[in-house]
Amino acid sequence: MGFVVTSLIFTVIGILASLCTRVFCNSGPSTNLLLVTLVITATVCCWMMWAIVYLAQMKPLIVPILTDGE
Amino acid sequence: MGERRGGGGCCPPMDLFRSEPMQLVQVVIPVESAHLTVSYLGDLGLLQLKDLNADKSPFQRTYAAQIKRCGEMARKLRFFKEQMSKAGVVPSIKSTTLADSNVDDLETKLGELEAELVEINANGEKLQRAYSEMVEYKLVLQKVGEFFHSAHSIATAQHREIESQHTGEESVDTPLLRDQEMATDASKQMKLGFLCGLVPREKSMAFERILFRATRGNVFLKQAEIEEPVMDPASGEKVEKNIFLVFYSGERAKNKILKICEAFGANRYPFSEDLGKQAQMITEVMGRLSELKTTIDAGLAHRGNLLQTIGDQYEQWSRLVRKEKAIYHTLNMLSLDVTKKCLVAEGWCPVFATKQIQDALQRAAFDSNAQVGAIFQVLQTKELPPTYFRTNKFTSAFQEIVDAYGVARYQEANPGVYTIVTFPFLFAVMFGDWGHGICLLLASLMFIFREKKLSGQKLGDITEMTFGGRYVILMMAIFSIYTGLIYNEFFSVPFELFGPSAYACRDLSCRDATTVGLIKVRDTYPFGVDPAWHGTRSELPFLNSLKMKMSILLGVAQMNLGIILSYFNAKFFGNCINIWFQFIPQMIFLNSLFGYLSILVIVKWCTGSQADLYHIMIYMFLSPTDDLGENQLFPGQKTVQLVLLLLALISVPWMLLPKPFLLKKQHEERHRGNSYMPLETTEHSFQLETTPDAHGDHEEFEFSEIFVHQLIHTIEFVLGAVSNTASYLRLWALSLAHSELSSVFYEKVLLLAWGFNNVIILIVGIIIFIFATVGVLLVMETLSAFLHALRLHWVEFQNKFYEGNGYKFHPFSFALASDEDDF
Repeated sequence: MGFVVTSLIFTVIGILASLCTRVFCNSGPSTNLLLVTLVITATVCCWMMWAIVYLAQMKPLIVPILTDGE
Repeated sequence: MGERRGGGGCCPPMDLFRSEPMQLVQVVIPVESAHLTVSYLGDLGLLQLKDLNADKSPFQRTYAAQIKRCGEMARKLRFFKEQMSKAGVVPSIKSTTLADSNVDDLETKLGELEAELVEINANGEKLQRAYSEMVEYKLVLQKVGEFFHSAHSIATAQHREIESQHTGEESVDTPLLRDQEMATDASKQMKLGFLCGLVPREKSMAFERILFRATRGNVFLKQAEIEEPVMDPASGEKVEKNIFLVFYSGERAKNKILKICEAFGANRYPFSEDLGKQAQMITEVMGRLSELKTTIDAGLAHRGNLLQTIGDQYEQWSRLVRKEKAIYHTLNMLSLDVTKKCLVAEGWCPVFATKQIQDALQRAAFDSNAQVGAIFQVLQTKELPPTYFRTNKFTSAFQEIVDAYGVARYQEANPGVYTIVTFPFLFAVMFGDWGHGICLLLASLMFIFREKKLSGQKLGDITEMTFGGRYVILMMAIFSIYTGLIYNEFFSVPFELFGPSAYACRDLSCRDATTVGLIKVRDTYPFGVDPAWHGTRSELPFLNSLKMKMSILLGVAQMNLGIILSYFNAKFFGNCINIWFQFIPQMIFLNSLFGYLSILVIVKWCTGSQADLYHIMIYMFLSPTDDLGENQLFPGQKTVQLVLLLLALISVPWMLLPKPFLLKKQHEERHRGNSYMPLETTEHSFQLETTPDAHGDHEEFEFSEIFVHQLIHTIEFVLGAVSNTASYLRLWALSLAHSELSSVFYEKVLLLAWGFNNVIILIVGIIIFIFATVGVLLVMETLSAFLHALRLHWVEFQNKFYEGNGYKFHPFSFALASDEDDF
């Protein structure tokens, strides 16, 4: 699906999640800021891990070599 | 360092990011409402009092007598608890609301109950002793009676024999002999006395021997064993005993025997030879035994009732006593005013709690009918306040993890905020298997759903820790499921969940699959590691390269976050020197070397070049002007590398040199005017001395110390940049270990058992697989990954910005106190 498209999907999910926390757990501006920070940090971490694994497989230098007897 | 310039002008306030603002307050309480005031403040739990009488010994303090009273009551309660546990009564946990019972009433009541309980115990013991003695007496009567009876029958039989022998003969001297015999018999019978009783079996041999020696063999001792152990009246334990019967002649022998019996603890009992009397004694003893039994049972029942009533109220009473003790300890910390009419308290409280504290004070003054209300006043001070984070049940576990390393200095950035996400994430990077993640999730949900029930119980140590960390485990499990999906491992088995694998054979016959390998025919597998890799010969080289580079990238990201947090700290405290001469050179140094490496990794991946990154990085330092040749990843790389190298080299003296000189200049500017106003400074210094904790602004500035400090900091950062980045490779190492262990258990246990086509072997294999998975992977690996993720946070992340030399806010609160001490 392409790198850019999936990254956009991650961004959208992140924004949606922050909006959901803002709507469902609204308790003061400072708490909201904390929750949004947590959601954004989680989204960034998850995106980074996915992106690294995806990029590493885009133009591989080695390919799978099956073992004998498979 | 840092004046408390509550800045934060750059960004809006965020919960948990910095400590709550705290203030030093002084409360003046009239003596009559002191007790009630402290009680209400303890219920509120938002004030940390300072000990104003620290130099006094515990006996010199004002309320020492009341504390002693509380100690006495606590001792009585402990005694009750002991008695209850001995009798097997469990204090009921139902927490009836404390109907503000008077402490004096409680004291008298406890005293009465204690006296009653002690009396019942003493009576019980006496009765029990009498009962045991009666039991022993009964045994003696039975056995000795038997003996005498059998001896008598033998004697009469012998007598009859002798008589029958003698009736045949008729001679002159036979009556004379008979008379003589009878006469001698009678005289012998009158002198022979006997004693009977019980002696412990282990001492019976020694008893016999000493009797023999003491009376020179002039006694006849008969012993008989009692089959069952008998309750010894003196010690109250079951002891094996023997019945003894001693025949002696003469008063002296009797005295010796009596003394020996006493020495051996042998209980003696009277015995009459008359058959009629024996029967009477036996019936009497039986009667007494049954009487005693009923009395003892009644006594035990009474005691049981008493303990039950105590048990119902025990929790309440102990809470009350603990509360009283806490109140008096706190009252002891307040200093008594000169007029002795009011107590002065000093303490820290959060600014948001001001209204609540004032309300509590007012209520206490009203309830205690005091004439004057308490005075609440905020003091200005330069002391370092305690750190207070308002955490809920979710965030408290993460905050504890951070506090275990060091409590945040007042109002510095709290790493706990990011730890809530990055800690489970780094754990999951090392744990990545969505099967194991689901198991962890189920375990944590089990704890969370039984939260209310478990939080009231007293759990064992390990269970307590696991229960306290249930939300941490929940987060770890959720992230593990995510990373497991990315690594594509379900108990080490990959699945094609997100589309077809990108690899296929080169041609239809798949001849080269085991020599040259597959080729990439489709787009990259959209989410995670391609399932085609698992089990291949080139799996490890590929995954190792991927995971190592991932570790470096994640590590550089986290370290950059740490340095950015140090920028926010410097901004908050208004410390421009730190921004220009610490934050900026640190960013430049780290990113020109390791940030550049991360970019190279990404470029290599995107372009598919075959450049050797080790070579590039090493020769960037060794010979930066050399031509890159086939290691060129982008045009102009050589100039970029030269520039970055120069930047890195300048940033080291930039970090090291300017800051100490600037600090010195700052210090001189601040205290330039001091020497011109001697009078005021002395007054100032007197004031500083009277406030007991005058510190912080001390006018001492050792340039050499500051310089060495900065030198150490620079060296630590520069060397640490390399070592910390390498330290993140543990993410790769543990993840490799986990997946290898997991695949070994799967292939060598489960698949092997499956291959035998035998149900029993399969079941045994499954059981071994489950035990190995739970024991090694779910417990050991979890702990291991937890520990390493913790280390990465504590050392590599926090040493970029965290000082951690504050102290925690520990308010006076009954709820907290009852958790801690158990008397």
